[in-house]
Amino acid sequence: MNNNRNILIIGGGPAGLEAAIQLQKLDYNVIVVEKSDHLGGHLAEWDRLFPDGIEAKEVLDKLLNNLVGVKYFLNTDINSINLLDNCYNAILSNGITILAKAVLIASGFELFKAERKQEFGYGVYNHVISNADLEAYFKNGKDSRVVESPSRIGFVHCVGSRDEKIGNIHCSKVCCVTAVKQACEIKEKFPNAEVFCFYIDLRMFGRGYEDLYLKAQQEYGIRFIRGRVSEVAENIKNELIIKAEDTLSGKPIQVTLDLLVLMSGIACSTGSEKLGEMLSLSKKEDGFFECKDSIYSQQLSNKKGIYYAGTCTGPKTLPDTFHEARSAAMAINMYMNKE
Amino acid sequence: MIYEGKKKIWSDYQKDIPDDHFFYVRSCIRQSFFPASEQKFLEICNQRLDKDFFETEKHTSCGGIAFHSDAIPIETSLVIYARQFSLMNEFGYKNFVCSCITSFGLYCEALEMWREHPDLEAKTREILWDTCKREFTKPEYLVHTSDMIYKYRKQIAALAKYKLINNKTGKALKVVEHIGCHYNKIFPSKSVGGAEYPYVLAGMIESWGGEIIDYPERRHCCGFGFRQYLVKADRGYSLSNTHKKFESMEPYHPDFIIANCPGCTYFMDRWQYVISEMEHKAYGEYGYGIPVLTYEEVAGLVMGYNPWDLGLQMHQVNCEPLLDKMGIEYKAKDKYKGLNNKNIGKPALTPYLK
Amino acid sequence: MGKLYDKLKADSRLGDGLKSCINCGICTAICPAAEFYDYDPRVIMDKVQSKDDKIIEELLKGEQIWYCGQCMSCKTRCPRGNAPGVVIQVLRKISIEEGYFVESEKGRQQYAINKMMYHNLTTYGYSIYPRTFKYSMHPECGPVWEWIENNLEDVYARNGANLDKEGPGALRKIPQESMEEFRRIFDATGATKELNHITKCSMEVAEKMGLNEEEYFNMVFNETKKDHLNH
Repeated sequence: MNNNRNILIIGGGPAGLEAAIQLQKLDYNVIVVEKSDHLGGHLAEWDRLFPDGIEAKEVLDKLLNNLVGVKYFLNTDINSINLLDNCYNAILSNGITILAKAVLIASGFELFKAERKQEFGYGVYNHVISNADLEAYFKNGKDSRVVESPSRIGFVHCVGSRDEKIGNIHCSKVCCVTAVKQACEIKEKFPNAEVFCFYIDLRMFGRGYEDLYLKAQQEYGIRFIRGRVSEVAENIKNELIIKAEDTLSGKPIQVTLDLLVLMSGIACSTGSEKLGEMLSLSKKEDGFFECKDSIYSQQLSNKKGIYYAGTCTGPKTLPDTFHEARSAAMAINMYMNKE
Repeated sequence: MIYEGKKKIWSDYQKDIPDDHFFYVRSCIRQSFFPASEQKFLEICNQRLDKDFFETEKHTSCGGIAFHSDAIPIETSLVIYARQFSLMNEFGYKNFVCSCITSFGLYCEALEMWREHPDLEAKTREILWDTCKREFTKPEYLVHTSDMIYKYRKQIAALAKYKLINNKTGKALKVVEHIGCHYNKIFPSKSVGGAEYPYVLAGMIESWGGEIIDYPERRHCCGFGFRQYLVKADRGYSLSNTHKKFESMEPYHPDFIIANCPGCTYFMDRWQYVISEMEHKAYGEYGYGIPVLTYEEVAGLVMGYNPWDLGLQMHQVNCEPLLDKMGIEYKAKDKYKGLNNKNIGKPALTPYLK
Repeated sequence: MGKLYDKLKADSRLGDGLKSCINCGICTAICPAAEFYDYDPRVIMDKVQSKDDKIIEELLKGEQIWYCGQCMSCKTRCPRGNAPGVVIQVLRKISIEEGYFVESEKGRQQYAINKMMYHNLTTYGYSIYPRTFKYSMHPECGPVWEWIENNLEDVYARNGANLDKEGPGALRKIPQESMEEFRRIFDATGATKELNHITKCSMEVAEKMGLNEEEYFNMVFNETKKDHLNH
């Protein structure tokens, strides 16, 4: 099997695609297996990206245009995968078998299902939507849950994150900056609306994020209230009433809103459960895959020939995902040359 | 309001409730203010539905009100609960049902505390033996009396003579359901329906033809507060909380309120009287209040019991508007009679509450 | 970490109720007492979390810890699995044990509460008992209670109770042997000791105020002189 130049990439999102592009340029035989009906993962669902508002489609198009020569299967799962001699033997749900020395796990993330946070009434009250719903609304312009001209809009941070009750104690990293972005965007759409962000901590860690926060306050007049939302109720006019504490002034508050956006957090995708079991890949308590070394070797797993890129090892931004994809591609290339 | 969303959530919290053979303990507040409800619970379960709910005279209060008002230490409470379980063992039962919501919350907490702190359990057993020469094993199932009426709701519907429907308009009666905080806020997984959209009372109302209304302060505590009521100086707290709920439910014009906690039923009834005195305001129609009923009272009305056998005369808010709406026949002159038609007078009229 | 914090920590409920708090305010958001009283459970948790004895002593002597209505709405929502309502139970316990409860108006009410509860429980075996639930002390119970009070035996007989009689039933006379077991539990677990301690601390204060027992009882039962409300 020495001349086997196959590389199996599980997941056709940004991480999988970028790694595929790099490896294809190095003359490998790259096969991408994607379980959904489209390439691009969640990137295909977004409208504009933080912090500068670049259109998601622009980035996705770049990836798809560079995908020359890469083979991919859509609507396809991995039914089984195991080590055979020095090669991974994968049987796909379309019946095809792939033998590859190196496998890149780029199985990505899933958004927390907002209805699980029952006290926020997602799926029960008419005007409660999620961050993903709002992106879709910006993209497609239609959502029956958004009234014609909302006058008071709220964003709830940390939905399904930092929450022992749900079982996700981790921070999902990107929701804070997404909330600030979406708050500005919705204010652009409805300039007369009052927009509130109910946060606990404002995680503006990246380059340009603090600027976005400044802009949100100075140009868009977004109101930031430090207090975790406890409960959402609906009154007879179908308006939403949220209860929080304004912790900075130490007083409980009730705010009436026309629209509430829940910032659903990030969890490891359910597809990865099965994958992890089949390959005996270890996960950490937060449910994401465990890297060989969390500081120096995040692209490596504890198994020979298995590599990681993207959000399957934890919440991260798109730039970080692309870095990891290129780093994994390089590591795979070095591994293939040694063997 | 998207009903399917609520239904999905209810299905997440299915509670395992045994069908029969229960050891029954009473509630202090219900004994004093709703004794007929407790009596009807046993009658409906044992006589009408052929079940086995057993009560021994040897059982006591769980002391919950005293515990939550800091009058007795946790150690006392734990041994009292242990003694109650010991009585359950003595009479050969494994399923424990209590009539009070505060009790239910505390019994659940005790089981949890003993599980997490075995040294506490050992100490409880030691003291129980020293003081009462008793030992105990924990119940296999611990439920509340409202869980049981919920479990039997369809059988009760089958025996029903009346529905929760407005006789004149044919429309379902609009019902506010109030769940006692200690039923589902401490251990949501031990309740029917969980903490946010509990189903134990909603299920009864739906089975009997009524319509549940949601209103903003539905989950708000009625304000009992234990020490906030026991001492006269604090009662404003209790009143303010219930007042907030009434103001919130008013626009929905509920026909009646059903509650599963003894305290809540008592407060939502009595504070309407106080509000009528203070603000000259009544929340029902034509100067009446909104009737507040226990689940046994609702079950009893639906099954065709005489309202005065159900103890509705012991409420401050008059229930006649509800009886009329349901088309229930009753003898107004018998309302305040004692046994054997004995004339024992009647309460003074409340000028601002019909 | 000081003496008072250690006493709090010795009760297993403190660890159960406070693991670590991120000050998110979700408890205060939903707390009924925070709506009406000058009360903030988040602040109290933060103070206990500080482990600072000076701050804790101030808490134990103050009005704050007596505002909680024990509804446990906080426990349902806390993302860290804490329960301010349970921590409050421990704070109140230590405040009583240390005699600090007499320093606050709401704390002094404990005398009336203990007296009524202990009497009802150890005499009748019930927390609430109609013969000791006087209409004069509970006018909010309405004219219907006045009527019930004037016709106690008849009303309870009509409503299926077994008032003060033998055998099972509502308001039955609990058999002698059971009441003796019950009382022994109170003695062995410190409930009687607590009553005596509260009485002693309270009567010391009464004497300083120049009040006899009845006057002191009525004062703590009826009066609020301070402004406790959330403005």
